[in-house]
Amino acid sequence: MSWLGVNWTNVRLIFLREIRDQLRDRRTLFMIAVLPLLLYPALGIGMVQLTVLFTEQPRTVVLLGANELPADPPLLAGTEFLPEWFETPTDAEKLIVVTDTKPGEPVAKAATTDGKPDAAESSRESDAEEQATRKATLEDAYELLTYRNRRRELTGKLEAARKALEAAPQADEARLALAAEVSGLETEERALKEAMGAAFAQSRIQVLIVVPEGFRGHLEELSRRVAARDGKTVEPAMETDRSTDKGSSEKVDAEAAALPRPEILFNRADDKSYLAYNRVRDVFDAWEKEILKRQLERASLPQDLTHPVRPTLTNLALDEQIAANLWGKLFPALLVMMSITGAFYPAIDLVAGEKERGTMETLLICPATRTEIVLGKFLTVMSFSATTALLNLLSMGLTGRHILSMSAQGMGPATGDFGLPPLASMGWVLLLLVPLAAMFSALSLAFATFARSSKEGQYYLTPLLMVTLGLTVFCMSPGVELKPQYAVVPIANIALLLKGLLLSPSNAGSLMWYIVPVLGSSLLYSALALWWAIDQFRREEVLFREAERFEVSLWLRHVLRDKGPVPSFAQAVFCFVVMMLLQFGMMRTFQAASGADPQALLRALMIQQLALMASPALIMGAILTSDFRRTFRVRWPAVRWLGIAVGLAVLLHPLVFEVGQLLQERFFDPLPRHVREAMGLLLSKETPTWLVLLAFAVTPAICEELAFRGFILSGFLRGGRVGLAVTLSSVMFGIVHLIPQQVLNAAILGLLLGLLAVRSGSLLPPMLFHLLHNGMMVLHSLYGAEVAGIGTLGNTPFWTVREGALRYNAPLLFITSIGASLLIASVIRAGRERPEPVGVPAGELGGDVPAKKSGAKLSSGYSNP
Amino acid sequence: MISVQRLTKSFEDLRRGPVMALDEVSFEVRPGEIFGLLGPNGAGKTTCLRLLSTVLRPTAGDALIAGYSVAREPEQVRSRIGFMSGNTGVYDRMTAWEMVEHFGRLYGMPEDLLQSRLHAIFQTLQMTEIRDMLGSKMSTGMKQKVSIARAIIHDPPVMIFDEPTSGLDVLVARKLLQAIASLKEEGKCIIFSTHIMREVEKLCDRIAIIHRGKILAMGTIAELEAQSGEADLEELFFELISRHDEGA
Repeated sequence: MSWLGVNWTNVRLIFLREIRDQLRDRRTLFMIAVLPLLLYPALGIGMVQLTVLFTEQPRTVVLLGANELPADPPLLAGTEFLPEWFETPTDAEKLIVVTDTKPGEPVAKAATTDGKPDAAESSRESDAEEQATRKATLEDAYELLTYRNRRRELTGKLEAARKALEAAPQADEARLALAAEVSGLETEERALKEAMGAAFAQSRIQVLIVVPEGFRGHLEELSRRVAARDGKTVEPAMETDRSTDKGSSEKVDAEAAALPRPEILFNRADDKSYLAYNRVRDVFDAWEKEILKRQLERASLPQDLTHPVRPTLTNLALDEQIAANLWGKLFPALLVMMSITGAFYPAIDLVAGEKERGTMETLLICPATRTEIVLGKFLTVMSFSATTALLNLLSMGLTGRHILSMSAQGMGPATGDFGLPPLASMGWVLLLLVPLAAMFSALSLAFATFARSSKEGQYYLTPLLMVTLGLTVFCMSPGVELKPQYAVVPIANIALLLKGLLLSPSNAGSLMWYIVPVLGSSLLYSALALWWAIDQFRREEVLFREAERFEVSLWLRHVLRDKGPVPSFAQAVFCFVVMMLLQFGMMRTFQAASGADPQALLRALMIQQLALMASPALIMGAILTSDFRRTFRVRWPAVRWLGIAVGLAVLLHPLVFEVGQLLQERFFDPLPRHVREAMGLLLSKETPTWLVLLAFAVTPAICEELAFRGFILSGFLRGGRVGLAVTLSSVMFGIVHLIPQQVLNAAILGLLLGLLAVRSGSLLPPMLFHLLHNGMMVLHSLYGAEVAGIGTLGNTPFWTVREGALRYNAPLLFITSIGASLLIASVIRAGRERPEPVGVPAGELGGDVPAKKSGAKLSSGYSNP
Repeated sequence: MISVQRLTKSFEDLRRGPVMALDEVSFEVRPGEIFGLLGPNGAGKTTCLRLLSTVLRPTAGDALIAGYSVAREPEQVRSRIGFMSGNTGVYDRMTAWEMVEHFGRLYGMPEDLLQSRLHAIFQTLQMTEIRDMLGSKMSTGMKQKVSIARAIIHDPPVMIFDEPTSGLDVLVARKLLQAIASLKEEGKCIIFSTHIMREVEKLCDRIAIIHRGKILAMGTIAELEAQSGEADLEELFFELISRHDEGA
């Protein structure tokens, strides 16, 4: 059984052995099977119990001035609010109302209509302890009341003082005194509020209601007036109150301001208080509605008088769609997190664990190749990853459904049918799980291979877990949907596609065309990760890493003493990371500068290029390498390379421009308006052209080339793989541009720039290309339309002026593309022209020099047999 | 059967810089012969044997094992050697039988041949009681037996033992050496590394004394003694190494 140069019998043997090995491990079994099957039901039960415990905690509401409450409709029923004011009548028991009324006091009058309070109070009296608590609670309430009154007084004073201050003439001594008084009062008011809050927090009270004196009378007066308005008795009743028309309107306003209204005190920052307040508010709303209803009835007015415009709501969501919404948010997140968890532990056990238990060498001396070993292990990890994810989903789905249906029965109103998502959706889950599990398995294996022990393995894999968590949270945010540019983001593309498919299965059609790019890119990433894992497994320094004492000083001395002529791979990556961190750290500074005039922004851009790109590369090159000229390719190239660079820049310009426009229109979201405006300002005629060219063409050409085709590319080339080095450096070149539109453009041009640098052996051709490319873009947007408009140059088959911009047409694009392709082909075919450095022993060169066979083999291991 | 030609291995070390673990070592081993690599710790014995078992790749030079190059045909080499060292452990979660059977299958043995070999080997090595014991429950001696069974299951023409007796008690070590001697009787070509003189004297036909990646002396014990005029192998060993260190 041999296919693709791999003996699949060996792969199968290793796979089966590993599976059996894992199944015999109690920890693994616990993680993948027992945990999900027990965890969710246990969590569910715990949640139900907690909810029960939580909701049974009643909150204390103190109502002062209960004697001022109207008898009908009654607000209270004994020590609770009347159940009918709650949406769910049983909620009444969740609020305990303590009133300041005592039997025999006038308050009793208020409640005589239904003798309930008396009965309740007599039963309360029997319990002395309860009585004491009640007393203490009331004392707290009275204390708070004193605070409130003092504060009211103070705010009154403060308001008066402020008014006086406003009225006071400018620059007066009296004014100063007033200002001092105001600020003094403000401090006092704040202190009082703080003290009041502290007293509230210490009290047993969650909500304090103060019913003012005269509230009952006010309500009765209202009823009387409404009743009087009924029939023909309106006029005389109203006339007693008004003398003139003008006076009446003033009076009504004043009356409205001085209406005795109940006051509710609560603490928004305290959950208990806030929850209780919400209930109290609902009670008061319902109660008020009832009062209003009765008054409207008395006045024989229609019930909807107070809601002339209440719209009817029609919710088009079906029950199963509400369920789909829930699953659509939960399942993708769970699928991602569980498939990485499922890959995490087996990967560590299969590689780092094997090293730890001393069986790695036993395995390496068997006839299976490293590729076969990794494939066998990879398939094992993948099986566990997928199984864990599926078991978790299943267990969670079933538990969730069970609990929701349980609570739905108890609640009465239907909460929707929380069945599992439809079968088609489950099919998508299965399909998308494959690339997801594959990618996580390969990545985990590669990371774990580097570890010497299980403990180390966990250290190396934790960053992977964190990044995945971040991406998952991003995907689950409401409103984040699958877009073309997300279709190639690893992990996120799968999570978003699944989210979309689960949220609206009817919408699947419009998502269909995403399936190919999402699956394709995910499988590509999985393949790359697997390739990386195999590569790791072939490297002796990874497999046979020995515990070394790590000392910073020792390592620094090693770096400075044993520095190579060109940077190492790690140093190149480090340089990039430093650049990115600098960019991130300085972002605010440059953003602040961008608010100013365009010239300042251009200067800021140039400083950014010099300080954040060129400087780190040059400094690191000076410190970490021994051959500065070779690292930065300081060398005159053959003249033809300069010609090729110019030719390529000119020929590619129309194509790059038009493709950029196309992508801008079809692919990307438009840039935020303020960014576009800033760009427009920069490229306006107001700014001197030379400054724009300096900032957008000259500086980037020098700084970015020094960093990316100089230091970073030299470092990557030490690995010996030209293609990989150029690709990696161009990807980094793309990433550093931050704006998505530029990232893609820069990454593709980076390939060409890297190729030019490698083939010519000099940094000048890429610099020249970069300079011309950027310069032509700037000149195009500044003068393109004008130049094309001169005389007969206007509209030709090759170019036209459209919407104020010079646009290139198909024939020109076709011709230049052919020319550019020919040039690129000649660059690729050209042998590498590189100076053989004099005076450096061959053994110290990177692995890319054929003369140094021995060194190259050390790092490449089995990869080139 | 084994022909080592200027085999060289170097690697980078943070503290010491580039290190020559094995420096142009050459020797030959014939079938039916036990060749001893004798050297102090860190001399390069393990590196040399790891290169022969193709776990490591040589920096320069090559070795032919049963006619196959360790640098170019590692898979061919691996299926023709039996390798055993202190670093080739036994799987914790497999029984003795499963473990040996698994490796037999990896060597591509036909199933009926594999089963008959398994029965024969478990008989000869007296392993029938531990047949269904998990690796994690085995004593060091039992594990050693399983390792031998694993190394000889496919009946390889070449056997490589890297300090096989380290960490074993006298009884187990004695049994192991007897087993190796009987393998010689079967006509296998055997390389054996150790730092214990008595094992070499007892077992080896020819020896090479290796120190700091270089072979200092090579030949039968009698030849070496004749060359140096030293009758005791231990004295001879000490003499050679200290003379080399002084020279360096």
